[in-house]
Amino acid sequence: MSDTLKIGDQELNSRLFLGTGKFSSSQAMIEAVKASGSELVTVALRRFNRAQAEDDLYGPLAELGNVRLMPNTSGAINAKEAVRAALLGRELSKSRIVKLEIHPNPHHLLPDPIETYEAAIELVKQDFLVLPYIPADPVLAKRLEDVGCAAVMPLGAAIGTGKGLSTADMIKIIVRDANIPVVVDAGLRAPSEAAAALEMGCDAVLVNSAIAVAENPAGMGAAFKIGVEAGRAARLAGLMPTSEVAMASSPLTSFLSSND
Amino acid sequence: MKLTVNGKIHEHAGQGSIDALLEELSANPAHTALMVNGSVVSSNDWKTTLLKENDEVEMLVFVGGG
Repeated sequence: MSDTLKIGDQELNSRLFLGTGKFSSSQAMIEAVKASGSELVTVALRRFNRAQAEDDLYGPLAELGNVRLMPNTSGAINAKEAVRAALLGRELSKSRIVKLEIHPNPHHLLPDPIETYEAAIELVKQDFLVLPYIPADPVLAKRLEDVGCAAVMPLGAAIGTGKGLSTADMIKIIVRDANIPVVVDAGLRAPSEAAAALEMGCDAVLVNSAIAVAENPAGMGAAFKIGVEAGRAARLAGLMPTSEVAMASSPLTSFLSSND
Repeated sequence: MKLTVNGKIHEHAGQGSIDALLEELSANPAHTALMVNGSVVSSNDWKTTLLKENDEVEMLVFVGGG
């Protein structure tokens, strides 16, 4: 059965997006991406430095063939900087997709909703497919949908914390109201959390630290692939409703009782 | 010609096009995005765009990020 994820004009078979930061080497990153089956990976921009030419990921990523690049705007602290970063990223990726992220405070790395909203309007105008990284705020998510974002990416928990789906209640509201894909971005630690996100109706997850700093990144990439697939399959199959009272799975005729 | 490249003063000895600057700095043009004085300059224009004294150039590459 075909179960393609559509983000704007992009069609993806994998619902697992990967970040490429924090890996011990570009080789470890490439192996993890391959094992994860991901077709969309994020990259960041940094000043060219001749002394650190090996940090340039363009070459290693080109090896991946069918994997699309989604430049992020990390480092931008306001809308103006984010728009500039997006334009630079597009020069290199040759693609309209951008992960819009504006987090001015390095202490918590939480997204600035006002600057993000303003940047989204401008980037949509400039024909980007905008995927904004946002607080798990259903009102903001709807406003970003209204201005033409291609998806919204609410956080599960703060970047790099591994605290999982701490915003689950808000994400459920975002999913219920959204007419565009919802991608949980940041905070996930375990494949079971990715499965839970897909079970609650999220369309995809974006994972970086959980895979990059695992003892075996390729192994964890493979594990997240299974988690995402299980969660999506469960969502499509329809989870049973919950109940406040016990409901027996076996017949309760008391044939073993001597009272009958 | 004196330029500021990625925040540092750089004395450019070539003929002043962006292409020439990239070559001077051993930067791979296919891996580089570039801004001059805050405006993005598309790689299609690098041969013909001439830099001026005191221009501020930012050269960026893709690195790992989430």
